[in-house]
Amino acid sequence: MTAAAQHPNITLYTCSEVESVGGYIGNFEVAIKKRAKYVDYTKCTGCGLCETKCPTKKVTSEFDEGMGQRTAIYKAFTNAVPSKPVIDKNSCKKLIDGKCGVCAKVCPTGAINYEDQDEVITEKFGAIVMATGFDLIDWGKYYGEYGGGAIPDVVSGIQFERLVNASGPTGGKIKRPSDGEIPNTVVFVKCVGSRDVQKGKSYCSRACCMYTAKHAHQVLEKVKGSDVYVFYMDVRTPGKMYDEFYMRTREEDGAKYIRGQVSKIFQDGNKIVVRGEDTLVGQSVEVVADMVVLETAMVPRLDATQLAQTIGFSYDKDGWFSEAHPKLRPVETNTGGVFLAGCCQGPKDVPDTVAQASAAAVKVLGMFAKDQLAANPQIASVNEATCVGCLLCKPICPYKAIEGKEISERAHGETLTRTVANVNSALCQGCGACTAECRSGSINLKGFTNQQLLAEVDAACL
Amino acid sequence: MSVNENELPWQPKILGFACNWCSYAGADSAGVSRFQQPSTMRVVRVPCSGRVNPQFILRAFQRGIDGVLVGG
Amino acid sequence: MKKIGVFLCWCGSNIGGVVDIPKVAEATRTLPGVAVVEENKYTCSEPGQVAMIQAIKEHNLDAVVVASCSPRMHLPTFQKAAQQAGVNPYMVEMANIREHCSWVHASEPERATQKAMELVRKAVAKVAKLEPLFESYIPVTKRALVVGGGIAGIQAALDIADAGHQVVLVEKESTIGGRMAQLDKTFPTLDCGT
Repeated sequence: MTAAAQHPNITLYTCSEVESVGGYIGNFEVAIKKRAKYVDYTKCTGCGLCETKCPTKKVTSEFDEGMGQRTAIYKAFTNAVPSKPVIDKNSCKKLIDGKCGVCAKVCPTGAINYEDQDEVITEKFGAIVMATGFDLIDWGKYYGEYGGGAIPDVVSGIQFERLVNASGPTGGKIKRPSDGEIPNTVVFVKCVGSRDVQKGKSYCSRACCMYTAKHAHQVLEKVKGSDVYVFYMDVRTPGKMYDEFYMRTREEDGAKYIRGQVSKIFQDGNKIVVRGEDTLVGQSVEVVADMVVLETAMVPRLDATQLAQTIGFSYDKDGWFSEAHPKLRPVETNTGGVFLAGCCQGPKDVPDTVAQASAAAVKVLGMFAKDQLAANPQIASVNEATCVGCLLCKPICPYKAIEGKEISERAHGETLTRTVANVNSALCQGCGACTAECRSGSINLKGFTNQQLLAEVDAACL
Repeated sequence: MSVNENELPWQPKILGFACNWCSYAGADSAGVSRFQQPSTMRVVRVPCSGRVNPQFILRAFQRGIDGVLVGG
Repeated sequence: MKKIGVFLCWCGSNIGGVVDIPKVAEATRTLPGVAVVEENKYTCSEPGQVAMIQAIKEHNLDAVVVASCSPRMHLPTFQKAAQQAGVNPYMVEMANIREHCSWVHASEPERATQKAMELVRKAVAKVAKLEPLFESYIPVTKRALVVGGGIAGIQAALDIADAGHQVVLVEKESTIGGRMAQLDKTFPTLDCGT
C-alpha cells in the first residue's frame, strides 16, 4: 500500500470516483469526481490530534464492518494510506448544524477546511484497468432462518476478520459482539448465498473454503480448548498448499467438519442454537454455540453495472465484468483499452487476484510499448449519399461509436444541411449490428458487407 | 427427384451463421474434440450474430435451404 | 474479374485422410475467377507458405482462398504470407475444412468431401467480392487509469508504474487497501494482509 502511495509514477486520488468516460482506446477522456475531504492534504501532517479531540466518537465504523466505532473526523484504520483523516459530513456536528469546530481549533497546521467542495477534473488516459472489487451478499435480507441479522453473535466472515485482526476493535481478541465474552464453541456455516440458486447466487465464491479453514484455525489457536464446527456442502481446495492447510485445520487443530446444510439458527438464552443436517451420517444435528460465523457469498459491487455502462463494456447476468474470452483473453474486455483485474471480474482469492492484476498490467504495457495502434479496418462505414439520418443505428451500437453528423450539400442551386450517421473508427469494434438495423442499407461493415455475405449465402445454397 | 443409386441419400441442408467469438469458436472446439455430427450444416462466419441481417435468412430460404441456424 | 488462387491443405492426414482433396481441387478449378488451385501437405508450414507466395507472384493473383483449418487459428499466418507476396491481407479468405469438416465427419468421407467442395465454393464467392482494406493508426496516450485501490488495483498500478509510465489510481474510499486491508492473516501462508 505505501509502495503505491510513494511511487513517483503513481498519483493517488482517494474519495474519488469515475464520473464519465469519453474517447476510445489510447485516448480516453475521463471525468473524475473528487469528493470533499474537508482536510487540506497539502497542510495536514497526519498527526491525529483532531481524531483524539473529536467529540463525536460513536459513529459505526464501516471499515470494522460495524464491529467498532470511529470519530467524525477519522482515518479508516491506523495504517490507512494516505495516513491523513477525512471528515464524514453525515456525522460531523460542524457540517450538520455548525456547532463544533473543535478539529479546526486543535489542528496545528490549519488544515481543516469546512468549506471544501466536491471537484470534477478531466484527464486523458490511454488505458483503463478496472479493479473495483466485490461486496459480500447482504445475507440478512435473504436468510431469515439464520436470524436475518437480528442475532448479535451471528456475524459474517468479514466481521470475524475484524474481530480477529490485531488492529481491529478488539485488538485481535476474539470476543462476541453481544457481551464481549470469549466464545468457546464457534460454528462456521459455509456457502451462505453461494451455490444457492433459490435464495442466493448460483456460483461458488471460490475463496471461502480456504478462509473458513483459516478462521477455524484462528479460533482454535487463539481460544485454548475451544470447539469449532464447520458446516459445509463440499470442500474445494485447489491451489498450492491449500489442501494441506485444510487438512492441518482438521487433523492437527481439530476443527470438526460436518457435511450438511444449516436449516435454522436461533438465540436460546445466552447461547445460539444451530440446527442442521449431517448428510454423511444421515441425521439431523444441533450444535449449541457461543458464536456463529456465516461465510457469505461474494457479489459484485452495487454500482458495478452502472460503472460498466458509464465506461462502456459488458458484464454478466450476476453483474461481474465480462472478460473478452474466458480462457484466451481473461483480462481484456471486449472494449479496446479497458482491462480487468481482481474480483470485479468474478470471485477469486488473493494469489489469483495478484496474478490477474499483473497480467492486466502487462496488457497495458504491451499497448504502451507502441507509439501508435493499428486499428482493425473491418469496421462500419456509412454511405452518406443514401443515409437518411434516422440514426436507428446509434442506440443499437454497443460501443457508442455512432453519432449524428451534419453535412451540407448542393441541390437545385441551394445548400442544404442534413444529418447522417457517422462512425468513429476508433470506437467501432466491427460487430456489424448497425448494418442489420439500417433500413436503407446505407451502413455496411467492411470485410463483411451485405454483398459479400449474400454471395456466401448464395454459394452455400446452390 | 431422380433416384440414382450412386447418389447419397437426401439430407437436409442447413445454413449456419456463427459469431466468430462464440459459436464459431464453439464449432471449432467441437472439431478439436472430434465431436461427430451430421454433415448438413455450412457455416458463414460473422463478426457478431448482430451482423446477421434478416434479409440473409430470407435469401437462404429463397435459394432453397432447408433450415437456418443463427448462433451468437 | 479478380484472379483467385485456391490453396488446399491436406494437413497431413487430418484433412486429407477424410476429404478427397484431389476431387475438391478438380471441382474448384471450374469455379468462376479461380486462376490456380494448388494442394499442400501443410500450407501453414514454411515450404507451404513459400509455394503460396510463389503461386501468387507467378499467376499475379488478386485474392487468395486457403482451405485448411479454422481462420481463428491461421488467418493471420496466411494474411502475412499474402502481404509478403504483395496481396492486401484483407483479400484472404479461409474455408474451414478441418474443424468444421474432416474432424467432425470422419466416418462419412463422401459427404465430407461434398461439404468441403461447398465450403471452398462459398469462400471463393466471398473473396470475389472482397475489397482491399487498409489499417489506420491511432495515437496512444501513455498514461493509465486504475479504478479501485484494493490489492488488484495496487498491484496493477505498481507494475505499470515500475515500467516507467504514469498511473492515476482512483479510490472511492478515504484509503487504499480495499478488502485486503480488512483481513487478518491470509491463507495458506498466514502472513499479514497489508
